[in-house]
Amino acid sequence: MKIAVAGKGGSGKTTVSGTLARALARSGHSVLALDADANPMLGISLGVGPEETDRLLAVRQGVDAGETPHEPTTEGMVEAFGTRAPDGIRLVVASRIDSVAPGCQ
Amino acid sequence: MRVAVVGKGGAGKSVIAGTLARLLARRGRRVLALDSDLMPGLAYSLGADPPAMPPLLDAAEKGEDGRWRLKKGIGPVRAVRRYATPAPDGVLLLQLGKPAADGLPPIMGSLNAFYKVVHRIRGADAFRDWDIVADLPAGPRQTAFDWAPYADVFLVVVEPMWKSALTARRVARIARAQGRAMVLPVANKVTGGADSQRVEEMLGEPLFASLPADEAVAEADRLGVPLIDRAPSSPAARAIEAMLEALGREQTPAR
Ligand SMILES: Nc1ncnc2c1ncn2[C@@H]1O[C@H](COP(=O)(O)OP(=O)(O)OP(=O)(O)O)[C@@H](O)[C@H]1O
Ligand SMILES: Nc1ncnc2c1ncn2[C@@H]1O[C@H](COP(=O)(O)OP(=O)(O)OP(=O)(O)O)[C@@H](O)[C@H]1O
Ligand SMILES: [Mg+2]
Ligand SMILES: [Mg+2]
Repeated sequence: MKIAVAGKGGSGKTTVSGTLARALARSGHSVLALDADANPMLGISLGVGPEETDRLLAVRQGVDAGETPHEPTTEGMVEAFGTRAPDGIRLVVASRIDSVAPGCQ
Repeated sequence: MRVAVVGKGGAGKSVIAGTLARLLARRGRRVLALDSDLMPGLAYSLGADPPAMPPLLDAAEKGEDGRWRLKKGIGPVRAVRRYATPAPDGVLLLQLGKPAADGLPPIMGSLNAFYKVVHRIRGADAFRDWDIVADLPAGPRQTAFDWAPYADVFLVVVEPMWKSALTARRVARIARAQGRAMVLPVANKVTGGADSQRVEEMLGEPLFASLPADEAVAEADRLGVPLIDRAPSSPAARAIEAMLEALGREQTPAR
């Protein structure tokens, strides 16, 4: 199954996502946790740790910086950018806004 | 003063922005309140009736080049006069508005118009004597994309927890890199001095103010009424007032 969690700021999206992922992993599922927030905090709710979460390489920035080649397949992206989280979860961070940016959106 | 309130989701940005705006207006200032959140919350914290449609939709049009622009004759002054919503104590609220069930595309005009209006407010003589209090959406996005170019102060709201502190660090770093405004961290929902100290450790810098966790704030929000009307002498309301005094001192340094 593929689950997207959405809602108002601070309503508990990250907490619910992280806990769901851990519960699924513990009941034997292979779980890919995808943080699609440009202010990615899912690592904290998964148990990766705050400072570690703050440092995770995001796909968008990694590809832009040319550190990691663009991977044509989803599996390749997960392999290149995934981090191990507790209970065998793979965590991928899509993008992180960390600096002043041009344009209006 | 021109204040942009930023921070993590649910940190208390709207409560703080709404209360600051009302307090300034009660001191006789002309106050423009700005809400650029696509899930707007400031109207409730101010006590205004939120407009049904994004008001600035009417102010935008697409040029021949396919880009959005403000309609002829609409500058920042007219935009505020025509499209702002009145709030108690004489505050005017200009909000971006929220998408309906059909998503973002139908309100792109409003989004572009809002961005253009705030950029023109920055240098507009007509607003020189106004106070501006802006409630920005959660996270670093709008700070990074310069949605509060008029701000001379960023209040970065932090709850005593890591997700909130990491967000605050990121937003503060971005705002400081722009180099235009003072960036002041404010702890909210604090219970006791140990909480404040923990927040300072997580941030790696001292706090400008600490606002207490206060059931009166939560109750006002449950009822959908402004804190300043429901519980003006609650600990949180008083702490926001004290913070406003401190902001005033910060902006007019003693000679
Ligand atoms: N059921 C709950 N009971 C008590 N507190 C909760 C509950 N769910 C979430 N919280 C708390 O609410 C706060 C916000 O949660 P979380 O970070 O998961 O929200 P979010 O929707 O992801 O926020 P953002 O919009 O900033 O990404 C956290 O402090 C979390 O611990
Ligand atoms: N000092 C406080 N004590 C207790 N509850 C508080 C306090 N400040 C804010 N809250 C509560 O926290 C919740 C979030 O507040 P508010 O809507 O102002 O946050 P926000 O940062 O604007 O959220 P969003 O990111 O969704 O716009 C509300 O339920 C509010 O009542
Ligand atoms: Mg979240
Ligand atoms: Mg809000």
